[in-house]
Amino acid sequence: MSRPVLVVERLAKTYAVGFLRKKVHAVVDVSLSVEPGEIFGLLGPNGAGKTTTLKVLMGLVRPSAGRVELLGQPVGSLEAKRRLGYLPESPYFYDYLTGRELLVFMAKLFGLPRREARRRADALLEQVGLAQAADLALRRYSKGMLQRVGVAQALVNDPELVILDEPMTGLDPLGRKDLRELIASLRQAGKTVLLSSHILSDVELLADRVAILVRGRSVDVGPLPELLDARTLSTELVLTGASAELLAAIAELGHTVRRSGDRVQVTVTGSDAPDALVDLCRKHGASIAEVAPRKESLEDVVVKRVRAEGEQRERAEAAR
Amino acid sequence: MIGRILTIGLNTFREAIRNKILYSLLFFAVLVIVGSLAFGALSVHEEVRLTTDLGLAGMSLFSILIAIFVGVNLVYKELERKTIYSLIPKPIHRYQFVVGKFLGMVLTLGVQVAIMGAVLQLVLLLQDAELSGALYRMMALIFLEVIVVTAVAVLFSSFSTPFLSGLFTLGIFLIGRSVPDLRRISRKLKSPAAALLLDGVARVVPNLRLFYATGSDAGGGHVTVHGLFPDWSYVASAGGYALLCVAIALMLASLFFSRRDFI
Ligand SMILES: Nc1ncnc2c1ncn2[C@@H]1O[C@H](COP(=O)(O)OP(=O)(O)O)[C@@H](O)[C@H]1O
Ligand SMILES: [Mg+2]
Repeated sequence: MSRPVLVVERLAKTYAVGFLRKKVHAVVDVSLSVEPGEIFGLLGPNGAGKTTTLKVLMGLVRPSAGRVELLGQPVGSLEAKRRLGYLPESPYFYDYLTGRELLVFMAKLFGLPRREARRRADALLEQVGLAQAADLALRRYSKGMLQRVGVAQALVNDPELVILDEPMTGLDPLGRKDLRELIASLRQAGKTVLLSSHILSDVELLADRVAILVRGRSVDVGPLPELLDARTLSTELVLTGASAELLAAIAELGHTVRRSGDRVQVTVTGSDAPDALVDLCRKHGASIAEVAPRKESLEDVVVKRVRAEGEQRERAEAAR
Repeated sequence: MIGRILTIGLNTFREAIRNKILYSLLFFAVLVIVGSLAFGALSVHEEVRLTTDLGLAGMSLFSILIAIFVGVNLVYKELERKTIYSLIPKPIHRYQFVVGKFLGMVLTLGVQVAIMGAVLQLVLLLQDAELSGALYRMMALIFLEVIVVTAVAVLFSSFSTPFLSGLFTLGIFLIGRSVPDLRRISRKLKSPAAALLLDGVARVVPNLRLFYATGSDAGGGHVTVHGLFPDWSYVASAGGYALLCVAIALMLASLFFSRRDFI
């Protein structure tokens, strides 16, 4: 296996807040490593510590404990900074600049000469769909446009490693689709991408591996299929033309029944195929409009983890 | 390395010239300088003298106030608006950010001082005054003082809130202008502890009186722009002193800046 692009080992970050220096444990214990060429998702509910973890990686805040390595370098090394791109959460840029001016400025910070910086800026504006707004002051950009220009500035140096903090927020469905395609094209080009999100479906479609963060801890790290239970949790059937007699029989079997107009939705829990129910429906002359097995989703995993974490804490508190 | 500092500096300059507040401050300063013409006209025999004194005083005061405003604001805004989040991960050192910001401010203030100076000259020409070399040397000294005050403002805003930074910088300016007085008083004090304290303050705070030379005892005897005034070699050595103050302030600012969390 090749050397990881990014390593985070037992990272912790505690903020001291306010006049009384009250301690806030933003990150408690996070470990993960990202391999070259993969898309890695950092998942977790709001306040889980995703942004703080990424800020430590970017050298914006200093870790309280743990080890962090980026592209084989310690945090803050210029060598590593030259080869990475970063989109902050809810980004805000110099609002007195136009989109093009911002990108030219950023490109010059990477040492690109003026002419090349301009060319790069125009290409990126085109790529993120902002060519029309190139000469508009950023003050007049919408949230989604800022997000797009933020992605563009993260790519200005053609980085090997791209780190995106909640890149989908503020984007409309079309914007999300565009960004998904852009991230997929980064993978095609051999780049490594680390992106965070609290919206699991955004990551589900893209990420090769994910880390799930709950209350400052990385509770699960791995490929998505391994983190998700492959078994069918339940099966949903939609029936039409069900008689009252049939519904009574189904209720007797202990299945959940919901009706809306002529359609009846039945949920069969467990991993077994609902053969018995299907036979029953046939016998009563009802037709089966839909059969949908439901597997564990990322949502379920996070909810389970949050709950387990809470229970563990309660137990610990009760023991004290 | 220099290239990145200049990139940040030029961007800071661009921010300043696109800022409407700065134009209104400059407009006000120009108004005061032009107003000194009216005051000059009030005194029948000494009109040029009065216009010069008032004009220079107004120019100095306003450019110092603008320096404090710019110095405190342009650093704070980066933090408050979180524009620094996308800057720090770029391949720059934090000291390059501090120095670049500072140079951009100096460029901005240089343009402002030049405009004020040009207006003052125009006003004096309207009064048929003869422009002396002393006037230009005094203007150069005003600019040097502005540079030092800006560096002090950057230093304070590297670790403090804008309001406190502004207050502290104003305090340093007022004390700095009174350094010779502090020295004199400390020699007369009865209590040795108080004398030591006052003398210590006078040593730590930059001696800004060196820059506002007219009407002081700079370079030996009493000097004024209307008569005897120090030559360019004095301005050059004042420049050396300013450079030293700036270097110390920016070094400390970079140190504070490189240790802080951007939260
Ligand atoms: N600057 C800060 N000062 C104090 N607490 C903070 C700060 N930033 C984040 N936190 C706290 O740290 C925790 C993690 O925040 P964050 O890393 O932003 O989570 P996420 O990005 O996963 O939503 C939250 O409880 C948050 O309130
Ligand atoms: Mg976040």
